[in-house]
Amino acid sequence: MTRTATPSADGETVEKPGSSGIGAGRPGFLWAAPAAVFFGLFAIVPLIMVAVLSFASWDGLSDPEFAGLDNWRRLLDDPVMIKSLWLSVLLTVLGVAVQTPLSILLGVWAAGHQRNRAVLSAIYFVPMLLSVAAVSVLWRAVLDPNLGVPAQATWLFGDGNLFGTQATAIGVLVFVSTWQFTPLHTLIYQGAARAVPQVLYQAAQVDGAGTVRQFFHITLPQLRNSIITSMILMVVGGLTTFDTVLILTQGGPGSDTTISAYYMYQKAFKSFDYGAASTIALLLVLVSTVISLIVVRLSGYDRMRSTMEGL
Amino acid sequence: MKQRARLSRTLVVGGAALALVLSLSGCGGDSDAAGDDTIHVLVYGDAANKVEKEIVATFNKTSKVKAVLDTIPGADYQAKLQTIINSKQAPDVFFNWGGGSIKPFVDAGLLLPLDPFIAKDPDLKAKFLPSVFNSAVVDGTSYGVPMRGTQPVLLFNNGKVLKKAGVEPPKTWDDLLAAVEALKADGVTPIALGGGDRWPTLMWFEYLYDRIAGPELFQKALDGDQDAWASPDSRKALSSIRELVDAGAFGTNFDSVKFTDQGSPTLLATGRAGFELMGSWEYSTQQDAHPEFAKSDLGYSTFPSVEGGKGDQANVVGNTNNYYSVLKKTKHPQAAAEFLKLMYSDQFVKAQLAIGNLPTTTNTEGFLDAAASPEFAKFQYDMVKAAPAFQLSWDQAYPQSAATAMYQSLQQFFNGSMDEDAFIKAMQALPTS
Repeated sequence: MTRTATPSADGETVEKPGSSGIGAGRPGFLWAAPAAVFFGLFAIVPLIMVAVLSFASWDGLSDPEFAGLDNWRRLLDDPVMIKSLWLSVLLTVLGVAVQTPLSILLGVWAAGHQRNRAVLSAIYFVPMLLSVAAVSVLWRAVLDPNLGVPAQATWLFGDGNLFGTQATAIGVLVFVSTWQFTPLHTLIYQGAARAVPQVLYQAAQVDGAGTVRQFFHITLPQLRNSIITSMILMVVGGLTTFDTVLILTQGGPGSDTTISAYYMYQKAFKSFDYGAASTIALLLVLVSTVISLIVVRLSGYDRMRSTMEGL
Repeated sequence: MKQRARLSRTLVVGGAALALVLSLSGCGGDSDAAGDDTIHVLVYGDAANKVEKEIVATFNKTSKVKAVLDTIPGADYQAKLQTIINSKQAPDVFFNWGGGSIKPFVDAGLLLPLDPFIAKDPDLKAKFLPSVFNSAVVDGTSYGVPMRGTQPVLLFNNGKVLKKAGVEPPKTWDDLLAAVEALKADGVTPIALGGGDRWPTLMWFEYLYDRIAGPELFQKALDGDQDAWASPDSRKALSSIRELVDAGAFGTNFDSVKFTDQGSPTLLATGRAGFELMGSWEYSTQQDAHPEFAKSDLGYSTFPSVEGGKGDQANVVGNTNNYYSVLKKTKHPQAAAEFLKLMYSDQFVKAQLAIGNLPTTTNTEGFLDAAASPEFAKFQYDMVKAAPAFQLSWDQAYPQSAATAMYQSLQQFFNGSMDEDAFIKAMQALPTS
């Protein structure tokens, strides 16, 4: 095979002299076919089936029966459903609120080239390499009220009933996701902070600005696009949280940490009520779309400006 | 040249896509290739599969129709079964929990009634303890044959801790309340409870409802009579639970403790709790994790009686057994029936006892000396045999669609975040069919 197309400096594919003919230029649909087939089979088709099922009653055994708006009516009357939406939003907001400042500070700190920083940040990135399931199992054991850390630190944890009340159970969920995912966002900020042109800091120093002022007036504005990227990742991650809930709390106590994604799982694979589960799934798609539209609009992601203007 | 390159690309891409589609559509069909002379037996995959393999081998020695054993690892069993049972890959014979776990299949007309086989060969019913066999009877028709061991719920204790506090295993409810006070005074949690798993909490409801209201109340509720939950007996059972929890019998952090990660068994074994209400598997759990304790200090007794209660104090709750049911569309019903008959063979009983399971056949009694722990096996066997009623765990008696909401309400009532009226309302809202 002769592949003669090479990227040129400005990123566009051009043909080398001497290779004229058909097929030059932009790749045809065929190139996209594998990905398109895959996406169609595993994303579009299931989505359509979910939409259809949300108007049906189906236990997986007999044939689905058309149920009209029954599923929707039942869910909108279901206190657990309404609560689960709020819990999803709450977990997401708490996740963003806790992780963003932490990871910005850590990332900017880790951006320095001192050796101790390099070593410490290497260690600090370890949680990122572990699977969410493993991390959750680990923390479940560490936080056991009688055999884990709470038993040794009663001044902090009291009777250690961390999974027995709503506030503490949510606290544990936020803490564990923070422990696991802050390193990822730290990495984003570390890279971004290193890309801030040194000349800006030099100029600030000449003007007599201290470290704090430099941070707020140079680093933070320069990180704007990274903050948006990182926050979108957090929002998406927060809304799709599932594994930590499954392993740490199983939605409990009662239904106090039953977030929408977990409630959908319960409906589908514990109660075998696929109609209701599909309705929740569709509702989640709708809510997530609205939220991501809002985030994109508010953050100006759609018209993201370069931070290099004027340099 | 260019043209050829493009063409070969087309072939590669097209071929890849085609292969993908073919492999997807080919996911299922291969089981048909095994031919028509087999029955597929689907079981829950765990350590007990050893016995199932032996039984299948025995069956295949004499039968013209061969049995094939398929296993699905534990946690995925129910979901996978639900997915395949109405498809081409459906097994001929499958493992289940009786009661609510097969009710939806019965309603969908998927299961083969076993009564014609029993009429031909009465042993297929008579060889099993009636209280156990009845758990797989749905609407008066038999749909399952017991195929593993029974798992009654017992009140386990740490003998050393009880002795130190001057407490005997309780015979009555008042004994238990007194023991709670004595153990509290001694500085230990009176009763270990893995509330985080939620099903251990359920056991307290099951026994107290049985002792106070008798097994009839739950049966009525299950049959769709929602008033049963609001009856005075129901309220009395609930206030007894409230009394016990409020007395501090379980400490305060039970909802953060689990049985499944060794949390609550460790409390009992290390002497930080006096009792634990648990299925008979507590014994093997302790033997694995704390062999010394299991040998010297692990005690057990039946659930105490409640004065003025309607339930017989010999009644038992728990997992009655696991069952084999047969699919209606099997091509070899006769072979399946022959296979089921092995479930009361001497070989089956001996093999189950050897791995620590307690079969529920009438001939089990003769082999109890050969059990892994003869004394414990005898205690359980006598208990189950003498039981006028054996209540299948509520979460298995109700249809699966009820389990989540049931667990939530049980936990919330138990830890005090839901009051009696709200709990009754929640139970009344559970789907019963």
